[in-house]
Amino acid sequence: MTQITPEILTNKTPESPPNPPNWLRYFSFSTDHKVIGIQYTVTAFFFFLVAGIFAMIIRGELITPEADLVDRTVYNALFTMHGTIMLFGWMFPVLAGLANYLVPLMIGARDMAFPRLNAAAFWMVPFFGMMFILSFLVPGGPAQAGWWSYPPVSIQNPSGQWLNGEFLWLLAVALSGVSSIMGAVNIVTTIVRMRCPGMGWFKMPIFVWTVLAAQIIQLFGLPALTAGAIMLLCDLSFGTTFFDPAQGGDPVLFQHFFWFYSHPAVYVMILPVFGIFSEIFPVYARKPLFGYKVVAVSSLIIVALSAVVWVHHMFASGTPDWMRMLFMISTMLISVPTGIKVFAWVATIWGGKLRLDSAMLFALGGLINFVFSGITGIMLSSTPVDIHVNNTYFVVGHFHYVIYGAIVFGLYAAIYHWFPKMTGKMYYEGLGKLHFWLTFIGTSLNFIPMHPLGLMGMPRRVASYDPEFAFWNFIASIGAFILGMSIIPFLVNMVASWLSGPSAPDNPWRAIGLEWLVSSPPDVENFEEIPIVISEPYTYGTSEPLTENMGG
Amino acid sequence: MTNVLTQENLNHSSQVAAHEHEHDEAGNSMFGFIVFLLSESVIFLSFFAGYIIYKTTTSDWLPVGVEGLEVREPAINTVILVSSSFVIYIAERYLHKENLWGFRFFWLLTMAMGSYFLYGQAVEWQSLQFGFSSGVFGGTFYLLTGFHGLHVFTGVLLQGIMLMRSFLPGNYEKGQFGVEATSLFWHFVDVIWIVLFILIYIWQ
Amino acid sequence: MKFKTILNLVAIAITLGAISIGIGQLSYSWLPPQASVESQLIDNLFSFLVTLGTFIFLGVTGTVMYSILFHRAGRYDLSDGPPIEGNVTLEIVWTAIPFLLVLWIAVYSYQTYMEMSIRHPMEMAHMPMAKAIAPAYAEPMDEAVEPMTNIEVEAKQWAWVFHYPEKNITSTELHLPVDRRAHLILRSLDVIHGFYIPAFRVKQDIIPQKNMDFEFTPIRTGKYRLRDSQYSGTYFAAMQADVVVESKEDYQQWLEEAAKRTPSAAPNEAASEYALREEKSAESAWVTVVPASEPIVNYHP
Repeated sequence: MTQITPEILTNKTPESPPNPPNWLRYFSFSTDHKVIGIQYTVTAFFFFLVAGIFAMIIRGELITPEADLVDRTVYNALFTMHGTIMLFGWMFPVLAGLANYLVPLMIGARDMAFPRLNAAAFWMVPFFGMMFILSFLVPGGPAQAGWWSYPPVSIQNPSGQWLNGEFLWLLAVALSGVSSIMGAVNIVTTIVRMRCPGMGWFKMPIFVWTVLAAQIIQLFGLPALTAGAIMLLCDLSFGTTFFDPAQGGDPVLFQHFFWFYSHPAVYVMILPVFGIFSEIFPVYARKPLFGYKVVAVSSLIIVALSAVVWVHHMFASGTPDWMRMLFMISTMLISVPTGIKVFAWVATIWGGKLRLDSAMLFALGGLINFVFSGITGIMLSSTPVDIHVNNTYFVVGHFHYVIYGAIVFGLYAAIYHWFPKMTGKMYYEGLGKLHFWLTFIGTSLNFIPMHPLGLMGMPRRVASYDPEFAFWNFIASIGAFILGMSIIPFLVNMVASWLSGPSAPDNPWRAIGLEWLVSSPPDVENFEEIPIVISEPYTYGTSEPLTENMGG
Repeated sequence: MTNVLTQENLNHSSQVAAHEHEHDEAGNSMFGFIVFLLSESVIFLSFFAGYIIYKTTTSDWLPVGVEGLEVREPAINTVILVSSSFVIYIAERYLHKENLWGFRFFWLLTMAMGSYFLYGQAVEWQSLQFGFSSGVFGGTFYLLTGFHGLHVFTGVLLQGIMLMRSFLPGNYEKGQFGVEATSLFWHFVDVIWIVLFILIYIWQ
Repeated sequence: MKFKTILNLVAIAITLGAISIGIGQLSYSWLPPQASVESQLIDNLFSFLVTLGTFIFLGVTGTVMYSILFHRAGRYDLSDGPPIEGNVTLEIVWTAIPFLLVLWIAVYSYQTYMEMSIRHPMEMAHMPMAKAIAPAYAEPMDEAVEPMTNIEVEAKQWAWVFHYPEKNITSTELHLPVDRRAHLILRSLDVIHGFYIPAFRVKQDIIPQKNMDFEFTPIRTGKYRLRDSQYSGTYFAAMQADVVVESKEDYQQWLEEAAKRTPSAAPNEAASEYALREEKSAESAWVTVVPASEPIVNYHP
């Protein structure tokens, strides 16, 4: 083994073929941003499936009013871990994966600024992800306090064990935070300092803008959650009383720490999806992105506003009036920059030459779902309405529409769009369309009924409910099972296409962008020669070349 | 003809720029490190905000039998830690002038001052009548000073590594990122301490 | 030609407006019965938001659907669309209109909020009784001066207990006289609970170790549900109670009858479920916080 090492070290020159076999690279400590990007995406997808199975058990329990499928403790553990794994195991890693894969290619860099840090950040993901899953084995079971982990419930620790589910949960969340901060430092440095010549700020693709915006939120938001988590861990395990009201602590302070990060976290997730929409609509509508500069800058406005909206999660927590009104208005204001983006996309599509490939279908579906979730979001921001529907299924329906309806749709769109670039293979269009329709129907059936349920007053996180809620819950459960089935054509399509799909050309969609000027999949060094960008990113309908030296 | 030539020149110069752009690893590292420190400072800001909220809203702030905190010893500690920021700056100046032994002397002096600070804090902790679990006051006190102390300890550790690396031949051929980052980190830890000192010891 | 476009747009806007107003009116039926003054205020605001939201949703998705249906590229059409990169006027308009709409919604919400006068618990304690009643209600003045129904609410894992200081009785069912402002002091013994009666549209988290003042005015007799709205652990979903709103006479009668009863153990779902679970010693369950034993109260259903 040791004799091979020098050879691995020397294979940095672009001409020599990569030393380990191709597939093995994906299981190694590779520092290639493209390998890491795919590692992130595939690992995240595994956790998506795990947390998805939890969701199906939850919906199985809720198909009837009584708590009859699993014990209440198991149900509580399942919804806690469903939320936690979906966010920390699926959402953040898959977005990190896409950013990793695409950002260096899009800005004309050979790799990320810190390739080893990049790999280290990735390898923490399977580690803390397994911690979440293994916490099912400790005495007392995994954390059962919801993904908010509000004290005092989260520090009650009925098992009395030092090694309990909540303890592991806090450790894993902290590790996820460290991994995300490492990723954020890397991505921000890469975008600010590694852009190729000619790529000024207003020549960057919108995806790069939105990733930058999202990572800035990570940098200022995550530390607040970390601070809260450290204090919660001290309360749980070291006898402090920060959040224990019985001993002078203040449980509401934790809610502030938590939401100061966890509301902006939604923008961390959705901003890159806005970027994906902005990339995909021009390609499949054959038109430039409408109002590119405004769309770019609106991401930064969202970042600034996202820092001052968190109290809208606590309108029912006994917050003072001035706070309720102030945060109501700041929350509503977010709809302005967001609206700008939505209108820009609609105008981009308008009068175009639409081609409804799988990526475009998912992007359009995601856009419609997003508009719907944005409208329920405005309703929630209005304090009087929120006082009624806060902590009910209306909120659950709203954020699942955001996260599944808009974000996951956007992620699927991105995977279909860049699949040929990543793997060098084309996917099967028919399976992609089947996948889209199953997902769209499943999403609608699963999440629309949650809105009337919330309006009727069904609280979230319940294992049993009054019979008046039975009808809509039944529909929602059927929708959930359809959503579960929708994964099958996707998985079949991805695996079969990657193994034996037809080879992809360099630019199957006739898209404009640096990533489409290199081979599919790109070489280890991305570009033979660093590109020199001379035009704006979305010049559809004109014959302006994108670069001086590589055409486009 | 001339047009083509200037075009080629332009090409060439931008390619050189691209080349430099890519290999400015020290610059990237410093940029990334500053971004990291900014992010890290938010953890402290959160703890400070928490402390201020607790201090202004908790009814029985001090645990039973505790009068307040002794300021004299911590003040001396503060003076030593803050002065060490100037000392580490002098050390850096020597390194820039390529006076390695001057650098090492002042660098070691910084380490000694940092270590004294930690020692002083340990002595103070031992003399206190309240512990980590003595209500919110005890909790925030040990959390803030402990978390900061951890950063001082990390700083001294980094300084030790940099000191040892200064003996490696050719250590500074690729720039002085390690030394500069450690120094920046040290200033950061100092500024945090000044805020912390004002919050905990002056504002009683 | 241009006139025709404008006419078309106006016609579409009117149609969408009509549909939106229809759905806005329909939205009242999605909500539980209006059993409190607050519920009327909130429902009006909600209906307004639904109307506005429907208009925007139909406008945006309608435009998208139109593009999908009529702006498709032909199978062999590889040409590009028109290279329109933006339109400053349009961009200013669609920034300004949402901004104004947001202001409108914010002002309306603020007014509703003020009318509901859900006060901060701390503020309440320092307010004279008469001033604490918001003048904006459409109630006769003489009723507004009438003393409020004072009730102490105790929440614990996992039971609600209501204490009526007037007659010093306890109950696990919340009885309220109709058309009289209720003033509740909410307390929690362990974790954060949420006091939520959907039919009243009111909700308040109960922070342990604090007395949370809370007010609302029931206006419709009937039986409603009180639910815990803040996740409180294992038997969270079972933490519900009935709320009975009755005429003032019936209420007085109930108080007097309850006062005569000797306190007895009230049935409690969490406690009985836990006992059953321990009996079966179910293996597929994790250790839980033990539910408080059945509360001993004067009145229980």
